Amino acid sequence: MRSLSHEEALPALGSAPATQVAASVARGRRPTRRRPGRLRPGRALYVLPLLVFLLLMAGYPLEQLVRMSFSNVTITTLQHAWSFVGFQNYRDAFASPVFSQAVFHTIIFVALVFAVGMLGGLTAALVLRGGGRFAGFLLGLMVFVWSLPPVVNGSIWRFLMDQYGLLNLISRGIGTGTVPFLYSPTSSVYSVALVNAWASIPFTALVFRAALLGVDADLIEAGRVDGVRKWQEIRFIVLPALRPTAFVLGVLELVYAFRSFDFIYVMTDGGPGTATNTLPFLGYSEAFTQYQYGLGSAISVIAGVVIIVIAFVYSRSVFSEERVK
Amino acid sequence: MTSRQPPLATGIPGGRASSRLDPARPGAVSWSLRIFLLVLYTLPLFWLFMTSLEPPGNVGGPAVDMFVFRPTLESYQAALNGGLLNAVLQSLIIASGATALTLAVALPAAYGLAQVRRRTVVVGLGALVGLQMLPQTATIIPLFQVFGTVHLLDTQLAVILADAALLAPWATLLLRPFFRAVPEALEEAAALDGASQLRTFTSVCLPIARNGAATVGTLVFMISWGEFLYAINLILSPGKYPISALLAEQISQFSSNWPNLMALAAVTAVPIMVLFVFTYRFLRSGLTLGAVK
Repeated sequence: MRSLSHEEALPALGSAPATQVAASVARGRRPTRRRPGRLRPGRALYVLPLLVFLLLMAGYPLEQLVRMSFSNVTITTLQHAWSFVGFQNYRDAFASPVFSQAVFHTIIFVALVFAVGMLGGLTAALVLRGGGRFAGFLLGLMVFVWSLPPVVNGSIWRFLMDQYGLLNLISRGIGTGTVPFLYSPTSSVYSVALVNAWASIPFTALVFRAALLGVDADLIEAGRVDGVRKWQEIRFIVLPALRPTAFVLGVLELVYAFRSFDFIYVMTDGGPGTATNTLPFLGYSEAFTQYQYGLGSAISVIAGVVIIVIAFVYSRSVFSEERVK
Repeated sequence: MTSRQPPLATGIPGGRASSRLDPARPGAVSWSLRIFLLVLYTLPLFWLFMTSLEPPGNVGGPAVDMFVFRPTLESYQAALNGGLLNAVLQSLIIASGATALTLAVALPAAYGLAQVRRRTVVVGLGALVGLQMLPQTATIIPLFQVFGTVHLLDTQLAVILADAALLAPWATLLLRPFFRAVPEALEEAAALDGASQLRTFTSVCLPIARNGAATVGTLVFMISWGEFLYAINLILSPGKYPISALLAEQISQFSSNWPNLMALAAVTAVPIMVLFVFTYRFLRSGLTLGAVK
């Protein structure tokens, strides 16, 4: 359960944060508090299996990742002693044009997935709220598609966007010729991002719809009595009520877009060339196709820092309000 | 999965009135958007299914002989000969193992972390959020090295451990609301009656959080069934690949034999479809609960 931010700032500290957590959790369960029935010793013990498991399977590997990022590690030295090279891998990363390209692709990719995923989900939720068998069936169907493995959805869309695929069949039929959805360096990043957004819309729709059903019905009714128009109702009553949900969901969508790799892997494998390399995907391919584990680790650590920042903002807003209760 | 009631959690007074008033009569815009969504989410699946019934090697899929469609199971047979059954078995082992392990550590942890009384719990939860969000592409690099050191590469156990490490933080966070829902008075009553903490957990809290466990267990199973990045890198011999990894590899190598690939994709999807039909009811409410707390 140790936090990555500590490791990245001070790799030498090792497991200090985690032991602190364990120690203070243990300290806190002294039964001298109010409500003897509630805080009996042992409640914190239930966290122990998870803590031990994550220290071994996440904490230790992450420490190795950070160490690798400061070392010269290739396929031949992976299982041997690594030579410390300081910030060399980071310097190499920042100096390489592929890296800055990847940053650029990441921004386009995340922005597109975020915008289409959120707006699409909101639209779908508005269209599918309320009763009707058809709306319920359609929502169920969309959630089913969402629950399919990304490798399946990615395969289908790779086929649909193939030069013999359905989209190009239609495109040729209406006279716009063959479109290289996935084979052109310029359009491939948009194609993959749109498919990613498509795959996430059922989830955002489901969550938005649950929030819509929670909007105070009296408020809406009052608005109707006062004769507000449909769009005014949405703009001034429904949307403001959705704001807390939109924040939480927005963070999740942002993270989903940033850490996405399955659609990229299946549909383009980062190509053509480096056209669909996002930052996390670049870190992976440097390690597993170029066998530059040190460089790949450095890029992955940079991607990890981005995530830590998002996770920090998110946790503060979500858990601090729970604590007040 | 066709009929639909609003989730209980959002059952608000006056909800009945609103659903009568509300979009019982959707307008033209609403209907065209609905049709658009229907096409957007059924056509890909339909095309997958139709293509998988084409003979293998039919490059253009159904597009080529759209008007002389002769369904055949040849592509499924070809996939079967390609070690399909073994791959499905591997997937079952990996997904079941990862689900069992994840629930085993996440259920007690969610119970232990249910109430935020102290700053340390907030820190712990924050760490779980961070771990849950880390890209898999980053964690696979050290996992490959670590499993190499302990000689677990090329085993399903490595994939199970990696999947569980990926999903346990997320599962814990998703399970928390279910344990938070256990009334304090109930636990206190159990304590007064002399039940041990363990007894309270297993006989009072777990039964109440049963729906949560089912939801999270189903989702963990589905995700580890479809996971392929860990599988591809931690399993060295393709003969031991789970079906998701098989599909991911074949799609990048032979992406012209679409009928075969789509048959493989269909077989990958069918277990998820079956699971989905039986679990959609509680998935729907469980998912939204986890996401909006």
